[in-house]
Amino acid sequence: MSDTITAAVTDKTAPTPAARAAHDASTREASAIAMQGLHKRFGRDTVALAGVDLAIRAGEFFTLLGPSGCGKTTLLRILAGLEEADDGRLLIGGRDVTDVPPHRRSVNTVFQSYALFPHLSVRENLDFGLKMRGVAPAERKARVARIAEFIQLGDLVERRVDQLSGGQRQRIALARALVCEPDVLLLDEPLSALDAGLRSQLQVELLRVQKRLGMTFVFVTHDQDEAMVMSDRIAVLNGGLIQQVGPPREVYEHPVNAFVARFMGHDNLYPVTGRCGDRLTTPLGELTAEAAGSGALLLIRPETLDLLPGDGAGTNHLPARVVERLYRGSHAEYRLAVGESTLQATVNNRGRHLPEVGDRVTVTVAPEDLVTLSE
Amino acid sequence: MRKRTLKRGLTAFWWLTLAFLYLPLAVVVLFSFNASNSAANFTDVSLRWYYRLLGNEEILSAFANSMVLAIVSSVVALVVGCLIGYGMYRHRHRKLGWLIVLIYLPIVLPDIVFGISEMAFFVQVHRLTGFLQPGLSTMIIAHVTFQIPFVALIVYSRFVGLDPTLFEAAKDLYATPIKRVVHFMLPTIKPALISAFFLSFTLSVDDFVISFFTAGPESATLPIYIWGAIKKGVSPEINAIATLMIGAVAVAAIVSLMFSRRRQA
Amino acid sequence: MSYSGVIPTARSRAMVREARHLLFTVAPGATWIVIFLVLPSAYLMAVAFMTNGPYGLPEMPLSLESFRRLAGFGFLGWSPGNLYTLLRSLWQTLVSTGLVVLVAYPIAYYISTCRAKWRPIMLLLVVVPSWTNQVIRTFGWMNLLAPGTPLSSLAESLGLIAPNMGLYPSNFAVTLGLVYNFLPFMVLPLYAAFEKLDTAQVEAAQDLYASPLRAFWHAVFPQTLPGLLAGIVLVAIPAFGMYVIPELLGGGKGMMLGNLVANQFSGGANWPLGAAGAILMLIATFVGLFAMRRIGKRLGGGEEVVI
Repeated sequence: MSDTITAAVTDKTAPTPAARAAHDASTREASAIAMQGLHKRFGRDTVALAGVDLAIRAGEFFTLLGPSGCGKTTLLRILAGLEEADDGRLLIGGRDVTDVPPHRRSVNTVFQSYALFPHLSVRENLDFGLKMRGVAPAERKARVARIAEFIQLGDLVERRVDQLSGGQRQRIALARALVCEPDVLLLDEPLSALDAGLRSQLQVELLRVQKRLGMTFVFVTHDQDEAMVMSDRIAVLNGGLIQQVGPPREVYEHPVNAFVARFMGHDNLYPVTGRCGDRLTTPLGELTAEAAGSGALLLIRPETLDLLPGDGAGTNHLPARVVERLYRGSHAEYRLAVGESTLQATVNNRGRHLPEVGDRVTVTVAPEDLVTLSE
Repeated sequence: MRKRTLKRGLTAFWWLTLAFLYLPLAVVVLFSFNASNSAANFTDVSLRWYYRLLGNEEILSAFANSMVLAIVSSVVALVVGCLIGYGMYRHRHRKLGWLIVLIYLPIVLPDIVFGISEMAFFVQVHRLTGFLQPGLSTMIIAHVTFQIPFVALIVYSRFVGLDPTLFEAAKDLYATPIKRVVHFMLPTIKPALISAFFLSFTLSVDDFVISFFTAGPESATLPIYIWGAIKKGVSPEINAIATLMIGAVAVAAIVSLMFSRRRQA
Repeated sequence: MSYSGVIPTARSRAMVREARHLLFTVAPGATWIVIFLVLPSAYLMAVAFMTNGPYGLPEMPLSLESFRRLAGFGFLGWSPGNLYTLLRSLWQTLVSTGLVVLVAYPIAYYISTCRAKWRPIMLLLVVVPSWTNQVIRTFGWMNLLAPGTPLSSLAESLGLIAPNMGLYPSNFAVTLGLVYNFLPFMVLPLYAAFEKLDTAQVEAAQDLYASPLRAFWHAVFPQTLPGLLAGIVLVAIPAFGMYVIPELLGGGKGMMLGNLVANQFSGGANWPLGAAGAILMLIATFVGLFAMRRIGKRLGGGEEVVI
């Protein structure tokens, strides 16, 4: 199964520059996409991109993550050529495509609304890009058949688009883009219209496809969980600027600023009011941190906390009271009062005693789990 | 109890209204088969008025004029109206109030004002330049003018009903501007184009007033011929042509009904 | 390199491209309508202010003579003929629109209460007669109302008309023709309104008001008002300018404004007078449209009266 499409990608007879580039080892090393100082404004006052520099590696699953209005979709549309940057340069596969129109870019998009042509059958939809590129009919037929098998569309190919379910449409939109074997595949929140179960199933499927093909995927989402599951690297955007670029673990565990931390779901952020060597003064009390950096905010991840019954003393032992407990089966989420402050903690359910609301407990955290970040 | 009486009364009223709507047409059809030329007494069934039609060259040329006028004007209106409908869609975020006014103008203008303005204009242009002599060409121009808005609005509403990202998908899938028109836009709006063409055709065949004022001496259409015949004194032949035209409409009605049935299925 | 200095180039390039696209798509149709409708109408309006020449064609100098003629002032002093025509046009429009409402309202309601699968066919049955040519439809009524036909004989025996006169030509025949002609124009928008009717409101009203009449007045009627207004626009405006029906069914005493105008361009040959009549018709049209829009907006619902 996995060989069929790889064969298609590296097919020597494929006339597209995309196919040639894909099996060229030297381009594989180089960055697939380079963005240099991209600016974009809508109207007079709406700044969508305020200077974006970013390099995406070949074969990478790269995610643009951010809240709505952060510029991630605009960036994707500039990559696709559907939007023109006001300023800056864009290179794809080493070629400057800043002024190249979308129909001459070896880039394909999976749209949020799927954008399947209603007047065509599934097969004709899959065939559309190849036909427009002028690929020979026999090869078109073979490639459509291969992609249909690869995405497991089965007998759907003769259906009309309006007879398909959301999940089926999503897969056909993906197949329609993949069959063109682009240098880069762009995905604009492709899973956001699906319900949760189907969504996680398709997340896995999408990831497998990407790994098998080794194609560069640029994925846009506002869901940090989805971003962490899927990505090799994540770029977090806000206000038209890139806040942080890195692998999911780095972005989650070492966010560079308060925005990234909050966006990744962290609530335990406390100002550092005093500092003496490794000793930090915070509203929670004195805490010892190891190699936590010199930022002005302290981040405590809820899953690094341990709850001990009763009062205890020692390094990074804080007296606390349980204010709220959400029992989740595999774990429990706590809201604790520490002095005047509140602290979130997640405790794995290993069959041990789970403190109740109102209990007095001692919270502990290891010094190496504490990080600081800038405002 | 009261509800039932109301419903019964309404049903009776409905059938009465239908009789009112179809009686004049039925009379025309009935008397077209009348053997005598009385408009009041039906004597015997005969096809003599239909045979008379076949030998009447004026009627045949009027029919040909009607067809040429309807087809040519519909084709021109389809092209021009389709472009304007697409332009309205593509630039719908701009302030195009002037364009909307312009497009609604032919629809809201009373027929008679429409007809005489065109006539006065054509007559004067012809006097000054020698162009636009009243005849089939001026009728085509006038018909295209009132057909354009309908085509434009039908095409526009079809485009508005589409997912706008389809246009981007076509670009993204390597379609050049020309290929986008040929392989995406035209096939997608085909149903709208077909219904716009048929509406234009119907409007053209249906029109009397505007044709009447823009026609020349040689370019009488069927409605104009019938009008003239009525004015000269009622002849039973008119019943026969009118019956044929009613028959064409009945066929069109049945076809449109079957179409709407199939779309529902 | 200053950011703000660079924007105009990329953006103005796109703007030029968009403007060219707009020009390419919209210009042919817009130019067509301007040349073949706006210019002719403007010319017609100008004609109304010119003097009548020897062959009925307009000539300089500018004058208000044609409006004086329209009001009845001629060579032989004042005569009420034209004013009668105007008043008759208004009266016929009012009466026929009113009658059309009276017939169309129950019909539209009745269709909306029938089973869903019958409704399209019923609507089609109402609309199909209007697909045939207006001249033919009117000719059908001439056949029906002529002297010696059953309808005329009936009217005669009831003493409604003089013997051997027939029901046409007459003002009654014109009213009948107008109602017949415009009935579908009223049924369609009214039906659309009935179909959207919020039945919950009706049921609530039946609870609140004991009498069905009051329930109708408070819950049903206001909801159908937008459709009713649209129908009135669709009927009254073309009825006021009607030419074919009064010409065929009305005879000399049934003339309406449309005939007065048309005659000046064919038989009567006085273009400025005809043009003055056309201006009157235009004013009536735009006042009607404007009034309906205003009322429609005040009634709220954001429902704009679309033609």
